[in-house]
Amino acid sequence: MNTAVQQNTKKLRRPAAVEFQKGRRLHLFLIPFGFFMVILLWSVYASKDPSDYEKAQGYAYLFFEMPLLNCMTMPLMIAVLASRLCDMEIKGQTLKLLYTLQEKGSFYDWKYLHEAFYLLLFCLGEGLIFPLCGRLFGFTETLSIILVIRHVAVAFIAGTVVLTLQHILSLCSGNQILPLVAGLAGSFLGLFSMFFPHEIARLILWGYFGAFVPYSMNYDEAARLLSFSPAAFPVGEFAGFCIFGVAFYLVCRSVFLRREV
Amino acid sequence: METVIKTTSLTKQYHGKNVVSELDLSVPSGSIYGFLGPNGAGKSTTMKMILGLTKPTAGNISVLGKPVNQQNRIALLKNTGSLIESPAYYGHLTGRENLALIASLKQVPPEQIDDVLRIVHLDNQQEKKVSHYSLGMKQRLGLAAALLGYPKLLLLDEPTNGLDPAGIQEMRKLICSLPARYGMTVFVSSHLLAEIDQMATHVGIIDNGALIFQNELSVLHEHSRARMKLLTTDNAAASSLLKQAGLPVVLDRGGLIYLNSRKPEVILRAGRLLYESEIGILRLEEEQKSLEDIFLSLVGRSI
Repeated sequence: MNTAVQQNTKKLRRPAAVEFQKGRRLHLFLIPFGFFMVILLWSVYASKDPSDYEKAQGYAYLFFEMPLLNCMTMPLMIAVLASRLCDMEIKGQTLKLLYTLQEKGSFYDWKYLHEAFYLLLFCLGEGLIFPLCGRLFGFTETLSIILVIRHVAVAFIAGTVVLTLQHILSLCSGNQILPLVAGLAGSFLGLFSMFFPHEIARLILWGYFGAFVPYSMNYDEAARLLSFSPAAFPVGEFAGFCIFGVAFYLVCRSVFLRREV
Repeated sequence: METVIKTTSLTKQYHGKNVVSELDLSVPSGSIYGFLGPNGAGKSTTMKMILGLTKPTAGNISVLGKPVNQQNRIALLKNTGSLIESPAYYGHLTGRENLALIASLKQVPPEQIDDVLRIVHLDNQQEKKVSHYSLGMKQRLGLAAALLGYPKLLLLDEPTNGLDPAGIQEMRKLICSLPARYGMTVFVSSHLLAEIDQMATHVGIIDNGALIFQNELSVLHEHSRARMKLLTTDNAAASSLLKQAGLPVVLDRGGLIYLNSRKPEVILRAGRLLYESEIGILRLEEEQKSLEDIFLSLVGRSI
């Protein structure tokens, strides 16, 4: 029994190890790190020199602001990640060799997981920005770990759905310009979707980075003050999005498997 | 002799058009099977179908005695090596790192990497990034990857493409040595007749997706039997006279007569008939039909 488990583990580890071996010398960590630095600097800049009033809702502001930043930055980061990892297969015409050594589906899944790994690193990094800013600027509000986990989870899950699209685009394009343009367009669309009516905004894939913000913002014009109040988490909508994400992945995967090299 | 690759009525259609039709290949074990055909004849498509990279529209494929299907494809291909169309490589990795990836997927010991690098003479260039390799070096790296695990069957699609003359000769020598050194069967495609002639023990000729010849190379050479070239004072009249007498005669476009026989009695009879009709023989010489000519007669155009 143990031997069977060991063999299965080995079987799973091999394509994963190969995927990571392929990424050598590509400095892939720099992609999530670069985008993380943009978000970090933006957050630090936006939170600097807070008044006592702002310190009392410093985290709420970050929870509100960061998903909007994600709408702008994450589609592009995901496009760059997917493109960088898939282009090596396209340029080197490796698919016809790889498919004689591993199942097409296994290749597709492990490549996706490899890309998702860097996405996860980015999202976890984002989670650290909250306590970092809190300590740096002395926020007096209590940091909700649950909200941090929720933020990381939403960013990651929305990211994986967008990654599904970028993954298949990058694997099926001989030239990586198209997937990169799609990523860039996604950044704009995601941001603009914030200003669309709710029903239309939900049709835009890239807008989901900002769809589950845990606070709503109120602006008191007379006092010229921003305030944030907790917003209910749309569980049904989120579950629907997750189901769509899984179905979308399966459809894209089956489209890819049908393609011949 | 055991058959390593066997296809039955193998057919592939693209947009309703047959790219490969009703192909019945039979590749004997230990042979170097030259798969010859003009560009676009269906060689690469056939090889891709054998490797399971392309799904056949109809027909069956057996590799190493077992029918290939989606379930056993990868297990069967563990005993094969392939180099299809152009070498596959990761340009940002070194030659050695590329082979390490393949070795890991093929589950062969890493020590074999040194051996295959030595076989293809890349051992001095193994730490160089593959993007800095010449096409010939990439091709040799592709062959090294195919050799990892010393598979029983090697499928090489136009392996000398893009190589300089020295590289072609080296690659050819290497391919020729594989069955004897490692007991491999090599299935090699080419559009160059001379190349196949110098490498193969068996040959299959494909044209417009159909197999038009398949046998040992020596059998193909047997087709290249000699014939007699005849020049007379009146070739047209001589040709019609000999034809009327039932002799195997062809008058070519240049006006020369070919007597498709070397039998003394046929030659003597032709001479006598011409003499009796007062047609003078100016020249009579033996001409060997080249492999090129045979191919031409098989496919109807040159290669």
